[in-house]
Amino acid sequence: MKKFLKWTLLVVLVLAVCALGAFLYFIPPFFSVAPEDFTKEAEKSAPSVASIADPAERAIAERGRYLVVSAGCIGCHAAAGPQGPDLSKYLAGGAIKSQTHEATYVSRNLTPDKETGLGRRTDDEVKRVLRSGVFPDGHIVPTTTMPWGAFANWTEEDRHAVVVYLRHIPAFRHQTPEPVPGNGVTIPGAFDEEHAWKNYGTGDPTPVK
Amino acid sequence: MTRTSVRSVLLFAATVVLLLAAAFTLTRTRLEAQQRGKAVYDKHCAECHGRSGKGDGAAAAYVAPHPRDFSTGRYKIRSTETGSVPTDEDLMRSVRQGLYGTAMPAWDRILSDTDIQEVVAYIKSLSPQFATPPKVVDPGEGTPSSPESITRGQQVYEKLQCGKCHGTDGRGTGAVTTEFQDDWKQPLPAADLTQPWSFRGGATSRDIYLRFRTGMAGTPMPSFAEAASDKEMWDLANYVVSLGRKPVWSMTAQEVADLYARQDAEAKANPIKRGEYLVNSLACVLCHSPVDDQRRMLPGMRLAGGVLFRIEPYGDFVTGNLTSDKETGLGNWTDDQIKTVITKGTLRDGTRLLPFPMDWGSFATMQPSDIDAIVKYLRTVPPVSNRVPAPRFKFFPSYMWGKFKLLILGGDPPIAIFTGNAGSAGGQR
Repeated sequence: MKKFLKWTLLVVLVLAVCALGAFLYFIPPFFSVAPEDFTKEAEKSAPSVASIADPAERAIAERGRYLVVSAGCIGCHAAAGPQGPDLSKYLAGGAIKSQTHEATYVSRNLTPDKETGLGRRTDDEVKRVLRSGVFPDGHIVPTTTMPWGAFANWTEEDRHAVVVYLRHIPAFRHQTPEPVPGNGVTIPGAFDEEHAWKNYGTGDPTPVK
Repeated sequence: MTRTSVRSVLLFAATVVLLLAAAFTLTRTRLEAQQRGKAVYDKHCAECHGRSGKGDGAAAAYVAPHPRDFSTGRYKIRSTETGSVPTDEDLMRSVRQGLYGTAMPAWDRILSDTDIQEVVAYIKSLSPQFATPPKVVDPGEGTPSSPESITRGQQVYEKLQCGKCHGTDGRGTGAVTTEFQDDWKQPLPAADLTQPWSFRGGATSRDIYLRFRTGMAGTPMPSFAEAASDKEMWDLANYVVSLGRKPVWSMTAQEVADLYARQDAEAKANPIKRGEYLVNSLACVLCHSPVDDQRRMLPGMRLAGGVLFRIEPYGDFVTGNLTSDKETGLGNWTDDQIKTVITKGTLRDGTRLLPFPMDWGSFATMQPSDIDAIVKYLRTVPPVSNRVPAPRFKFFPSYMWGKFKLLILGGDPPIAIFTGNAGSAGGQR
């Protein structure tokens, strides 16, 4: 009987170690998910524009959605959930922190919330960031952190479409910190350190009616 | 010595002292203004125009047109004769309202008028050309727009052969060529005259007249001051204003649908141009071109790969050489192999990439025609020899330890992006 208990215990222990090893090895399961699933997720997580009443605005927003999804804005402006990015809180921000020689930046809330998101900004202010990286207070985000140097090459009409789409996604309240000036780079030879896996904003994003 | 002569000597001395003091104060005020201008410049302008003003800031290589090189004194947007420097008012206007259709923003909401005056004083100090005062053009009364003036303007458009570059319709149709280089060897398309919101210096007939009258320094757009009369240039300006179409933000649903259908048809007809647009606007260039310690792209290394990403706890990944080089770039890759990387994150030897920082999961949402266009454009990128090392995954125990720190201890290991070229070209090119 004692021998049997001993063996059971040993098997359980080995299984537990294997489970931990497998957990560490496979989670997050980047390489065991089919590539197509990443694409499906990127495609379906972006809110649809079908509910926009004005047909011209809907067509422009649809173009904007195509640009926002294919440019991968969600790659940085996601909200962090307990298990990686929470794509249901689309573009609520906070999941990426970028430390450069100039400052430390956190990805912002791009939803239309009037207090913490783009609802605070005019169309011109949003377009100015997408075209020149210049924020209303005059600071410039490095293009290696927020790739405005690429988005500057959008035509003004495509940039407009992006802003129209961002105006129509569901609003989430989520305060993300302002940039903190100073050298945030800790790794020699690097010009940028990107941190993910956590929510660098304040509190969890909450839906706004 | 009489009393009067003593007095006049004293008066003279006092005047000299006062004048010297005034001159000294003026110079000092000007130098101080330049100093304050430099502070504004370093904070707001250097990211694109570079610390020394040579148009070589960190963001310069990614935006088209490239930022102005202030050391040459050559400016496109002027109200002054060909070869002359712009006036202070010209420069201040460009800073205030920005240059439409470029990455130069309007600074009037952010900088005070004093800031703008001072930064202009500083910019002028960067070029010796400003020692010669500007020769201002007199645009006269102008000709108000009317159907007659527009008809006359169309005849001038034909006479001056504007269509050779801008097309018969103002948007390149039937043009001999629409692709040029500016004086800094940067690609420069002929302006699309139907999109007045992208006219750098503004879209009023006066703005447009000034571009004809003064020419656009540094570009192939000459001055027509000798080829045409003032009246002809005003008629031409009125004609160009009449070519402007509605922007998408003022269109009806039908007009938006027509515009997008036309754009899609043009993209399919000219996939290389469409691919270039996508590669430039999808941030491909940002990760696939190595940079120096000031984040400036290494010269000649556009899309040549070699940026090292250290992704904890996975390993080292170096961005690929996307140029058409047969040995080290995509020259020997088939179309399908390239598309498999863009849409499935899988290299041709079967190695799978992480879903970041190369965002293939998102790129795969593009229409197949757009992905085709990207491949077609990459085939045209001039070859640069830069052999890039294959992904190096971490040694198994350190990978497991890294994962333990990440998942059990709740750490947030960084992706570090490194300065310099990790490929074989060594950043020497």
